[in-house]
Amino acid sequence: MIRLQIPSHADYIDIVRVCLYGIASKLSFSYEDIEDMKVAVSEACTNAVLHGRPAEEGGSLIDVTFQPTEAGITIVVKNDGPPFAHQEITAIAPPLQGIEISELPVGGLGIYLMEALMDEVSVQSNDNSTEVILTKYISE
Amino acid sequence: MKAQQFQIEQKETNDSYILSLAGELDLSVVPQLRSALEPVMDRKDQKLVLNLRELSYIDSTGIGIIVSILKYRDGIDAPFSVTDIPPTIQRLFDLTGISGYLTEGTEQ
Repeated sequence: MIRLQIPSHADYIDIVRVCLYGIASKLSFSYEDIEDMKVAVSEACTNAVLHGRPAEEGGSLIDVTFQPTEAGITIVVKNDGPPFAHQEITAIAPPLQGIEISELPVGGLGIYLMEALMDEVSVQSNDNSTEVILTKYISE
Repeated sequence: MKAQQFQIEQKETNDSYILSLAGELDLSVVPQLRSALEPVMDRKDQKLVLNLRELSYIDSTGIGIIVSILKYRDGIDAPFSVTDIPPTIQRLFDLTGISGYLTEGTEQ
């Protein structure tokens, strides 16, 4: 298992992508799969930065763990702070479709992209922390 | 992986105002992009163009900004288009459904 800890700030999300790229390349994921994972993991980190407990309240770090398995990789993004709104996505339809331009939602795409780009996504929250668990299998 | 720094190049032609984006567009560069957009969002005489040829990464933060430009420009009845979309980015546009609005909604 590989652990990375970053300050809860947008400026460090690219470091997580660089690290993920290295690990996923070593595991022989395809270029497309790595690109997908980069977006999904960044989405989880973005949520952690935006919704995590601010530094002045003592919640200033995001924990990212990369767990390679035989079938692929599980990445856990954990932050301190109350849970962010999360609904299981049941519909496969893209969120931006069949709506008038003026009605298009500007937010809420992050969780949709995580679900669309990873094989498994789960969010576990308690009063003090939130964990987003992302799994991708190596395609044959 | 080349982590190219996010850059915005601005160019004005007879009928268009073109913002060419390069590098990685994520949460950390949102303020930079918003401040580049601010002075041109209301220009109804010019077509606003986002050229993504050199953009290597985008996520929901960037797509959210494009959605907000779409809505704003549509609201004031001003043209807006996104050009030279790299394949990896096009895929995310298709997944979220925004591509439908980019082609049908504002191009021409």
